[in-house]
Amino acid sequence: MDGINLNALSENASRLGMRIQETIAEHTRDLTLIRGGGSLFDMADDKAKNITKQLESSSDREKLDAMKRLIALISKNRPVSSYFPAVVKNVASTNLELRKLVYIYLLRCAPSEPDLALLSINTFQRDLADPSPLIRAMALRVLSGIRVPTVAAIVLMAVRKSAADPSPYVRKAASLAVMKVYRLDQAHYAALVDILVTLLRDRSSLSLGTAVLALDNVAPSRLDLLHVHFRRLCRVLPDIDAWGQVDVLRVLVRYARTMLPKPVPESERQGDEEDKDLKLLLVCAEPLFMSKNPAVVLAVARAFYYLAPPSMLSKIAAPLLRLLNVSREIERVALAYLLVVARSHPTLFVNSHTRLLVRTDDAEQVKRNKICILLALCTVDNHQALLREFVDYAQDTDDSVVGDAIDAIGRIARLVPPSTPQCLTALMGMINSKQDIIVSNAVLVLKSLVQNQLLTPSSASTTTLAPSFSSQLTSSVPSLISTTSIPLSAPPQMSSAPPSTTTAQAPLSIIAQLARRIDDIRHPHARACVLWLVGQYGTVTGAGTMVDGVADWAPDVLRKAARSFKIEVCFFNLPHHPPAHANSYQAPLVKLQTLTLAAKLTLLAPVNRTFILLARYVLTLARYDEDWDVRDRGRMLASLLVGAVAGVVSSDGEEGTGDRWSNEEQGGRPSGVVLRREQVMRVLFEGKTGTIEEEAVADSRPLGTLALVMERDSPYLHEHDDEDTPVDLPEWLEQGIDPALRDSDDDTPQAVSSTPVVQAISSQGIPSQHAVSSASVTPIVLTPTGGSTPKDTKDWRDLDKFYASESESEEGEEEEEEEEEEAEEESEASGNDEDSGEDDENSEDEEEEVGKYDSDPSHDRTQ
Amino acid sequence: MAIDGLIILDPAGRPIIQSSYSCYPTAYPMLHIEALNNALEKALRGGSVDPVIYVAEFSCSSACCHVEVGGMRFLATISGDADPLIAFAFLDTFIEILHDYFGTVSLATLKDNFDIVYQLLEETLDSSGHPLTTSQNALSDIVLPPTLISKLLASVSPSAPGVPSGRQGGSFGLTGASGAFASPIPWRKAGVRHNHNEILFDVVEDMRAIVGKNGMTLVSNVFGKIESNSKLSGTPDLTLTFTNPSVMTDCAFHPCVRLQRWTRDNSLSFVPPEGRFILADYQYKPPQGAVISNVPIPLSLKANVDMGEFGGTFTLTLTSRSMKVMENVELELYLGEDAISAQCTLSSAGSGVGSVGSADGSWTFDSRKKMLRWEILNMRSSGSWILRGSWTSKIKAPRPAHAFQIRFEIPSFSFSSLKVDQLRLSGETYKMYKGVRMRSKGSLEWRW
Repeated sequence: MDGINLNALSENASRLGMRIQETIAEHTRDLTLIRGGGSLFDMADDKAKNITKQLESSSDREKLDAMKRLIALISKNRPVSSYFPAVVKNVASTNLELRKLVYIYLLRCAPSEPDLALLSINTFQRDLADPSPLIRAMALRVLSGIRVPTVAAIVLMAVRKSAADPSPYVRKAASLAVMKVYRLDQAHYAALVDILVTLLRDRSSLSLGTAVLALDNVAPSRLDLLHVHFRRLCRVLPDIDAWGQVDVLRVLVRYARTMLPKPVPESERQGDEEDKDLKLLLVCAEPLFMSKNPAVVLAVARAFYYLAPPSMLSKIAAPLLRLLNVSREIERVALAYLLVVARSHPTLFVNSHTRLLVRTDDAEQVKRNKICILLALCTVDNHQALLREFVDYAQDTDDSVVGDAIDAIGRIARLVPPSTPQCLTALMGMINSKQDIIVSNAVLVLKSLVQNQLLTPSSASTTTLAPSFSSQLTSSVPSLISTTSIPLSAPPQMSSAPPSTTTAQAPLSIIAQLARRIDDIRHPHARACVLWLVGQYGTVTGAGTMVDGVADWAPDVLRKAARSFKIEVCFFNLPHHPPAHANSYQAPLVKLQTLTLAAKLTLLAPVNRTFILLARYVLTLARYDEDWDVRDRGRMLASLLVGAVAGVVSSDGEEGTGDRWSNEEQGGRPSGVVLRREQVMRVLFEGKTGTIEEEAVADSRPLGTLALVMERDSPYLHEHDDEDTPVDLPEWLEQGIDPALRDSDDDTPQAVSSTPVVQAISSQGIPSQHAVSSASVTPIVLTPTGGSTPKDTKDWRDLDKFYASESESEEGEEEEEEEEEEAEEESEASGNDEDSGEDDENSEDEEEEVGKYDSDPSHDRTQ
Repeated sequence: MAIDGLIILDPAGRPIIQSSYSCYPTAYPMLHIEALNNALEKALRGGSVDPVIYVAEFSCSSACCHVEVGGMRFLATISGDADPLIAFAFLDTFIEILHDYFGTVSLATLKDNFDIVYQLLEETLDSSGHPLTTSQNALSDIVLPPTLISKLLASVSPSAPGVPSGRQGGSFGLTGASGAFASPIPWRKAGVRHNHNEILFDVVEDMRAIVGKNGMTLVSNVFGKIESNSKLSGTPDLTLTFTNPSVMTDCAFHPCVRLQRWTRDNSLSFVPPEGRFILADYQYKPPQGAVISNVPIPLSLKANVDMGEFGGTFTLTLTSRSMKVMENVELELYLGEDAISAQCTLSSAGSGVGSVGSADGSWTFDSRKKMLRWEILNMRSSGSWILRGSWTSKIKAPRPAHAFQIRFEIPSFSFSSLKVDQLRLSGETYKMYKGVRMRSKGSLEWRW
């Protein structure tokens, strides 16, 4: 035991002097006994009997030991309230270590044993005058923890006394106690607000944060109390502790939204300055982007996101991205917020999209969020790189990620239409994959892509008959080779190639290829998609095919589908199919589409006997199917086809008794509606619009909430409609309140006297702190009378420059002008983006489909 | 609403320490613990656990945010519209404090010092759910660290008659408590004295990169941090300057750093706290100035993977491109949920003379996590190592991850070659010992 080691450990050790060193040797043996915390923690319950005896002993050591045993019992959730009287006796002990343990016990037990705590309330009151701030704060915390409404008045007195305590630590506890008293008894509202007014005047940055927090909790609608403190709060922001910064920023954002005038977009501004108070808040908050605490960084980003003019928004990008590297857990949460920002302001992150690439060791939720964000950042410039990424992600080991990635490929094709051929090629490549999950997802996306593509080239196609599509089909099958062989890295053939030639042919060849692979596509949903596509687009005009009017690849699909109709259920119970996809109830989906396919093909080639036989076979099976919907569909199609195709529903009794039903119906009601072939064509083929993808709407849930992270509705949006609980993020007011209200006595003296204050601090050997210096460096502002600061001109319209000019007193004029131009360009660019986004949405809305009862499989899923 | 409380679970998922949930139904903490344990159990069968788990049993929505440390789970429960980010920030801070107090955070240390953990819990988290005192220097005044001294006091002070201050017993405790918050600087203790004044800086840089299938670097970034250990007396005011501060961008600082000063002239001016702390975080900005300028990766991998039915074979060649010796190089590949076993042989193709057969590598297959791991303890400059092998799988079309995870360490090296210019001390007169060390590590994803 050398002296150096002791000295290094604590300054207080030296006070014990040599004498203790002499006794060390004797006591080391005891130490091991006493500090055997592990044995205390795992102590058997029967030893607990001694605790009371130990607590009443005269030795502090015994008492300490007993208290530790008690706390061990607490952590094991054993009842400990029976020791309360014995413990309370020790609250006035001279041994601080012991008192702290006693108070920890009391903090635990007082709320659950209010009656016992009431008995010793005098002790706590006495401790409020203890010389140690620690004990005073502890006593206050125990007092405010006693949840008996009758003592609220006593606690209130204690809080009032502590609010004037010399120690900021105790004042901090007082602020927190205010919240607890309010929760206990709301009748003391007025008195509590009075205390808060005192607390808000606090000069110490240590307790100021909690005072603001308490105000927010107790009187959220009394933002007017903050008027005189607003500017001071902004200035001391960097000095408040990290947690306080988070709370204060949250309140200040709300204050700004309710009290400050709405910022006018720079283009519309007419000479008058941006609001100075808003500027002050943002300028003071900005350095906090460099905080190590992720919660603070988010709080500042939130303030900028909801308050700052568009030109300053770019500042939030880098700090938000930095949060992704803090830890995996924080990455998960930050990504949820980043997604919201990226969707509303994609330009902020476009250049840093590589920071968001998915790693295979990311958590599932992280991967999916990253894919969403990357998609939000997709532009003409980076879509090639993103497409390659998504193709890679499709090989992920997590099924939901695979689904998202493949879906994202489809989205790229939609967002950047010239990239469609590449996306199709990528998806076609996936059809050949050995993984079922990849195949089925690719088919689903292909289906909607193909469908949308076939619809878009000629908008007239919605009004003409389906076979008119075939006019676009010149040589579908040969083109297959040329399209699929385009490598992904091929030079972008986007703008050069006219869409009508390349894109209109490709889809049909894709359908052809899908049709050929029908045996390998086993996922019911994907299989249904293929069947529907074949039926819908399997039409050809003119001769040259084996069956007139029907593409060569279509008949075989019907044959295979008809053959597997009976076993459609067990087909999917293959051993290695993920159970989620092998549900037998999904198989009816395939049956429905088989029926539709059969009906369509017979309609196209009404004289082909094979088709008629196949259709008849399928319809018969459908009639006796166990599934209600399948039976309905079969019946409906049968009655539709009665007039159009002879022989599908034969009247010659060929199919036995089952046909009697249709015979009866036909014969019994000869005047019943029988549609002609053209009419049936119309019914079956028309009105198939593209699938509508749900667009990512701007998220209404504010940043920094659990609801946003968990993608759930905010619990407080609807529950609390009473006026006392204002929303966390109110709308801007058009006109702010009079800024003169924010003038306070502080402003003038502080601006003047800031220099002496700093000197006073530094003369004590304490360094000046950033906030004070920020106030002193800034010669500006905020005095009500002086709108006449030296550089108070239009140069400062841009906040960037304002800030730059604050640190560097003089800068080149040219540079400033450049910056201004840049800022303007940025804002213009973002404005354009928003416009185009709106256009897209409108056009999507117009495509809103009419009614369709049969086929579109992607909608059957929801039924 | 804020953080409802904090619970520490042992590796078996049982609570060992939990804060008071007196304002909540008794089932409240149990439901959260159960939700977490269920999620963890599910995760064993594949997939990962979302760090935020929604618990919807109550009228008011709540969630549990959890972090794993030393086999234990630390979970913070939040409810209402609280921000999970605050919960995680608090958990990280609390764990950091435990590290500071006990050196390591393990089940054994927590059980040994549970009374201190409870004291820390009460001091850092108020029952209203708001963090109180989290600055380590301020805390150590209130809650004594389990050093020899405090153990000594526990045994000595009640009985030792002649303790300097006149009052019998507890004198140290009271001085300690009145010392609490006596310091005008929240992060620094007042009146520290050392015989030997020193401050040490460790610059640790971490490369995170993704390499595409074609061997092209898709992204590679280097994130650095400056860890400090300060043992300085009095109120030292330090100014740290760098010869090349332009390599640092996107910085974050300990609260002690004067931000204005950094913005003005890129020097770090601060009054350090006592003991260990992280002075700054930064991202390395390569000097070329290009928008996407990737930092070169110090090793390369050539991977040939053939997937067959019910398994596959692979040949991996790992080559060092670094001038320095790399340590603890570790390559991992997830072989898919249905992988059964793997079989490999190692060899090293030498750089230069007869280095074949140096068996400083090893491979393992973790059949629980389905992870193939290849470790090379010491990788000299421009050497090559080869791993050949095969694996078997239960399913016909095996589904391994399509990327290798590679980790490495390079001692006394920094990607950014950040250089400290000088460290000036003002406000105190003593001479101090200064030291700077560099260290680098990396974690790469190499797709195939």
